[in-house]
Amino acid sequence: MNALWLELYKLRRKRLALMIALFLAVELAWAYMSLSMSIARNPDNAGWPAALLLVASMNRLFLPILSAVIVSRICDMEHKGQTWKLLMAASVRRSRIYAAKYAAACLLLASAVALQTAGIAAIGLASGFREAVPLMLLIRLAAGTLLTTAAVVALQQWVSLAVKNQAFSLALGMLGSFVGLTAMLFPAPVRLWFIWSYYMDLSPVTYGYASGALSYAHNEFGFQLPLLALAMGAAAYIAGCVHVSRQEI
Amino acid sequence: MNAIISTHSLSKRYGDVYRVNQVNLTVYEGEIYGFLGPNGAGKSTTLKMLLGLAQPTSGRIVVFGQDLRKHRRSILARTGSLIESPSAYQHLTGLENMRVMQRLRGVPEANVMEALRIVRLENQKDKKVAQYSLGMKQRLGIAMALMSFPPLLVLDEPTNGLDPAGIGEIRELIRSLPQRYGMTVLLSSHLLSEIEQVATSVGIISDGQLVFQGSLDELKGRSRSHIALRTQDNEAAARLLGANGMTPQVGGDGYLTLRDGDDAQVARCNRTLVAAGIDVLRIEERRRSLESIFLELTGKESSL
Repeated sequence: MNALWLELYKLRRKRLALMIALFLAVELAWAYMSLSMSIARNPDNAGWPAALLLVASMNRLFLPILSAVIVSRICDMEHKGQTWKLLMAASVRRSRIYAAKYAAACLLLASAVALQTAGIAAIGLASGFREAVPLMLLIRLAAGTLLTTAAVVALQQWVSLAVKNQAFSLALGMLGSFVGLTAMLFPAPVRLWFIWSYYMDLSPVTYGYASGALSYAHNEFGFQLPLLALAMGAAAYIAGCVHVSRQEI
Repeated sequence: MNAIISTHSLSKRYGDVYRVNQVNLTVYEGEIYGFLGPNGAGKSTTLKMLLGLAQPTSGRIVVFGQDLRKHRRSILARTGSLIESPSAYQHLTGLENMRVMQRLRGVPEANVMEALRIVRLENQKDKKVAQYSLGMKQRLGIAMALMSFPPLLVLDEPTNGLDPAGIGEIRELIRSLPQRYGMTVLLSSHLLSEIEQVATSVGIISDGQLVFQGSLDELKGRSRSHIALRTQDNEAAARLLGANGMTPQVGGDGYLTLRDGDDAQVARCNRTLVAAGIDVLRIEERRRSLESIFLELTGKESSL
């Protein structure tokens, strides 16, 4: 807890809350406008599944970049201030700092996902959906998003701490965003290996094709996909932690 | 005296090059040990190994009587350090940086203020470190190292970036640490004049090898004097003195030199030359400076 407290203390003046708020505001405003246009064209789209799927698909674009930026901000201060040796000489284990940074990044992004979930409910209410707020669907969407983000953060943190130049980690974030957006075009077995595609794959709502027409359907993905996402995140975290801990200062 | 730090055949190899080679360094309790060497000699690498920041290729490090590999955490908890350039979070203020270290070290609030006061940063503590000059960053680094008032302080080139007044202040501070706080100080520098003014013991490293270790007096003892003579005809004087069992050398500066010349030999030499009709114009005693000893030991004039 002490290490996590320190990480959060060190984030003073980094304006991460403002950055998260701006990202979310842009994403939700875009989602609201897009949903309004969709409802205007086809009133059948005025339902929670459309709103949830729209936000899940937008998360593929926004969250990899937001994760990359947040993780980069958290890690870059150690490179810029050459503070690794300060921390090591104060007998702090690098694996402990690694864990604290990961927890801090996940905490910030979990807040972002919580705000986003509240935002989706607000969009639905503002759009005049007749059904009650589908709490279970929203929780499932938030859980899937959080699980995917946690794995993405593990990957981003590895790159951000191992490579001093943060352009690499930001480029990885943009690449992840691109892969996430195009992943639906990949065959399913290939898509499995790209963590950024899980924003859509772990969404509780998906597109269905009935009688040649596009419709919304419940996405029953079982336990396999969440476990795979968890395994990818754990592998990236352990590999990153071992690699960074072995680097000479 | 207790050895606070001792290294045994300590070596560090990067690729095929030994940056530190078979170094046996010993720092005793209450000393100010000046670790001297030209740039790139292996000082910082040695200090990093002493703090566990770099792994030795071979050799052993014992600090406070404990093996560093086995007791790293407890040793570092009793060691304050400043290695290479000062480290600090640029976006935080000086005081906030101190708070980070305070939390890590678990020291009371009074220590934070005392350390800032000692390095005279109390009026600049609320400024962001990014706005600090190099000298102020160096002071902050020293304050962070001092904060827990540890029994061992390792300072790597602590006067880098300080102005002459600041260098004087830090020098006085370092000199006072063993008496005021019972600290043992290991201080590295590439400036002989710096070490000469504060250290009680000296280690000189060159190309990764410890070429001298001992007290400052022992180092000064290496500066044996010689006699320089200037005569009307140095060539003839050298022949004559040689024929009389002395071994003068003709220097390019117009002087003859006699090594280990005691008073009796100087008098005999003078008498012989005057008796042979060679006028003696000058007789001088010359002593080598510490700097020339250092240069001879390290063979690195260019880096001074």
